[in-house]
Amino acid sequence: MAAVKRLETCLRVAGAAGARPERFLSVQDDLAADFRTLTKALYDMNKALGSKKVRGGPLKELVIENFDDEQIWQQLELQNNTVLDFFKKSIARDAKDEDLCLLADQEEDSSDAGTSTDHELEDNIVEVETDQKSVYTKDRTKAKEKQSKREENIQKCSDEDSDIDFDIEALEQQTKTTKETTLKKKWRKSIVDDKFFKLAEMEMFLEHAEKENKEEEEEDINYFEDIISDDEDEESEEAKVKPVKSSRDLTYKDFFDPIDDNEDLVAQDVEDDQEDEADSAIEEQNEESISDIEDMNETMENTRGKDASKKVTFSLPDDSETEDITEMPLEKDVGPSEIKSSFEKRQEKMSKKIKSLEEELLEEKPWQLKGEVTGQKRPENSLLEETVLFDHAVRMAPVITEETTFQLEDIIKQRILDEAWDDVVPKEKPKEEAFEYKKRIILDHEKSKLSLAEIYEQEYIKLHQQKTEEEENPEHKEIQEMMDSLFLKLDALCNFHFTPKPPVPEVKIVSNLPAISMEEVAPVAVSDAALLAPEEIKEKNKAGDVKTDAEKTRTDKKRERRKKKLRKRMKLREKEKRQKLLEKKQPEQGTTLSKKAAAAKLKKLTKEGKATLLKDEGKDKVLKSSQAFFSQLQDQVKMQIKDATKLKKKQKQQKALSVHKLKL
Amino acid sequence: MAAAGEGEGAGAFTCVSSKRSRQKRRAAVAMDTAEPRPSKRPSFPPVAAEALGAGKSEIRKVPVPANRYTPLKENWMKIFTPIVEHLQLQIRFNLKTRNVEIRTCQETKDLSALTKAADFVKAFILGFQVEDALALIRLDDLFLESFEVTDVKPLKGDHLSRAIGRIAGKGGKTKFTIENVTRTRIVLADAKIHILGSFQNIKMARTAICNLILGSPPSKVYGNIRAVASRAAERF
Repeated sequence: MAAVKRLETCLRVAGAAGARPERFLSVQDDLAADFRTLTKALYDMNKALGSKKVRGGPLKELVIENFDDEQIWQQLELQNNTVLDFFKKSIARDAKDEDLCLLADQEEDSSDAGTSTDHELEDNIVEVETDQKSVYTKDRTKAKEKQSKREENIQKCSDEDSDIDFDIEALEQQTKTTKETTLKKKWRKSIVDDKFFKLAEMEMFLEHAEKENKEEEEEDINYFEDIISDDEDEESEEAKVKPVKSSRDLTYKDFFDPIDDNEDLVAQDVEDDQEDEADSAIEEQNEESISDIEDMNETMENTRGKDASKKVTFSLPDDSETEDITEMPLEKDVGPSEIKSSFEKRQEKMSKKIKSLEEELLEEKPWQLKGEVTGQKRPENSLLEETVLFDHAVRMAPVITEETTFQLEDIIKQRILDEAWDDVVPKEKPKEEAFEYKKRIILDHEKSKLSLAEIYEQEYIKLHQQKTEEEENPEHKEIQEMMDSLFLKLDALCNFHFTPKPPVPEVKIVSNLPAISMEEVAPVAVSDAALLAPEEIKEKNKAGDVKTDAEKTRTDKKRERRKKKLRKRMKLREKEKRQKLLEKKQPEQGTTLSKKAAAAKLKKLTKEGKATLLKDEGKDKVLKSSQAFFSQLQDQVKMQIKDATKLKKKQKQQKALSVHKLKL
Repeated sequence: MAAAGEGEGAGAFTCVSSKRSRQKRRAAVAMDTAEPRPSKRPSFPPVAAEALGAGKSEIRKVPVPANRYTPLKENWMKIFTPIVEHLQLQIRFNLKTRNVEIRTCQETKDLSALTKAADFVKAFILGFQVEDALALIRLDDLFLESFEVTDVKPLKGDHLSRAIGRIAGKGGKTKFTIENVTRTRIVLADAKIHILGSFQNIKMARTAICNLILGSPPSKVYGNIRAVASRAAERF
């Protein structure tokens, strides 16, 4: 009784503390102290009243005075670890025990279970506290700050409860119905579905996950929950996780759906699963799956013209196979009974290929193959995507890349170092030397003294002379010389009265120069020929003779005039150019010049009559005396009268003329 | 061909060679015996005068106009001597027909001598000096070209006279200049022009004369021929 009272007080304190949760946003020292005392009370109570089976930690009471939070936690941990081990073992033992059944009331919905079972649990807690189920209280006390973990536990319990709370009979009824009914479409089909992915499956899975993570909602109806039909209910059950096997016992069939060929194996697996399951709910699942498989077998036997392809699916729903059958018409109808021979397959391929080729040929060709295509006939910017080949008739300009620029720069640098400039060499007009001028053909204006025959004769001789000279072999010369010297010596030795030969000049001078040039070399005589001819001093006029004014013909005079005018024109142009340059470079000097130019312009304009100069007639002058004023006035008037009379006279004259004409 | 036909007609097919082929073979054999056959070109020695012509003597006749009668008479010896002595031909002047006749005889060795002699006489008759015409005999590659002033440009009257005057120049100096530079001889007979010289030189002279006829001043023509002649001289 005392314990009960104490518990009640503890509850009250906890309730008070948790009543206003907004306080927890900030650190509440007094509340923390309350909680600590509460913890100690519970711990001591437990230790005092705890059963002998459950062996907790060594500490008999929780010490909190002058203890850090961390230290209190460590004390609790000591107690909890030992207790947890014990409970794990006991639970494992109890789970294996088939006689145990924790079924209570039937739940409507697994999703709603959370809310309802919460109450149940609380009830349980209150009812059974000295029982072995004090595990739950311990859980509660430990995990006060860890709300989510506690919820998880509750959820798990609720799930298991919901599993356990199934009515077996109801399930059996359902399985019967499913046996008889033909296979229906159980999943909502969507566009995204394919071999591996089913949208409806995903949705179910996500909802399931959400439920697990969802926060506690007490007594609120979840408006977003689907009210699913009986079938879906079953499937949702099926969607749940299969009983936990130890990792060593997991096999292929746990991950993947059975392959169509191995239906027997599937049946076998199903039976194995059946044996493994402890809960009737799971049994029921298997029954259903078996039934499904049996149905499938029937359908498979009935409708054999369908899929023979092997499929790998995940083991979530068993209806994946059934789904395949319903989706059959999308795939090709290849009867599994007709196994095609390799030849047939090849023939098929060939025919396919031929067909495709024929289609290609009959189709309209793409614009690339249409020969000459203008811009209108092809799509916009289509050439950009094409690689076009061009014949380059002209050598293309070199592409300037970084490398080329570097190369050029290197060359430039090297040239600078070598000082090998490519300066333009100024061309010089070749000046003819007098010698060369004389060598040119001289025009003889007289009748030639030699006859034609003699001229040719001379030419012929010249040619042949040269030939004969060249023909002399230098070796022969050498030999001759050597022999001469030898014989001379021998003669000198042999003869008593030896008279040596007179010395012969060995050097043979053959010069082809004209006689006049030969004479020039000698400085003895001064000849006119040495002087330059007048043409050498001054180049002769193209026309030939220099003429005086009297001798000049009309054409000559005109020619000279034209030349003169041309020269003047060129000079003027050059002058203008220079002036422009000056103006550009030195504007100050330019202004002075422009003044001159302006004066010149003025003169020109006045002459042409385009502008008239305003003459200063002295009207602005201040007239000091009245006499001056009146004299000026008189002068003005006189002038005006004169002009007027002149005009009149002119007019009269003109009139007279016209009258004269009219009379005629 | 007939022989071939006969052969076939006889029945047994025998290959009968034609006359021509037989002759060729004979000639080839003869050639082989005479000298070793050259690989590419067959060489034929000059034919003797007796072989061709078959004993008959050829005659060339050159008519003489009246104005050349006296110069012919004056230069007869000079004409006569080289023809008879060097070319071994017979020459005479037919007074009735007023032709110079040249005839081959037995002593003539060179057949081409006749044409040379005829050309020589012709040149003299046209107006060339004997010494200049003699070059025709001495050199093989000299030719004689004649043309008229009106061939170049259709001129009449005064223009024609002026053109001729341009060609001649004052005292004939233009003509002499051209002759000297181009190494040719020019005869200017009224409207007819005769040029004697080698082929290239004739061309040069002809160009110069044509320019003069067409109206260019002589100085220009001098310049042109000088340039051309210097180029030709450089080449040789």
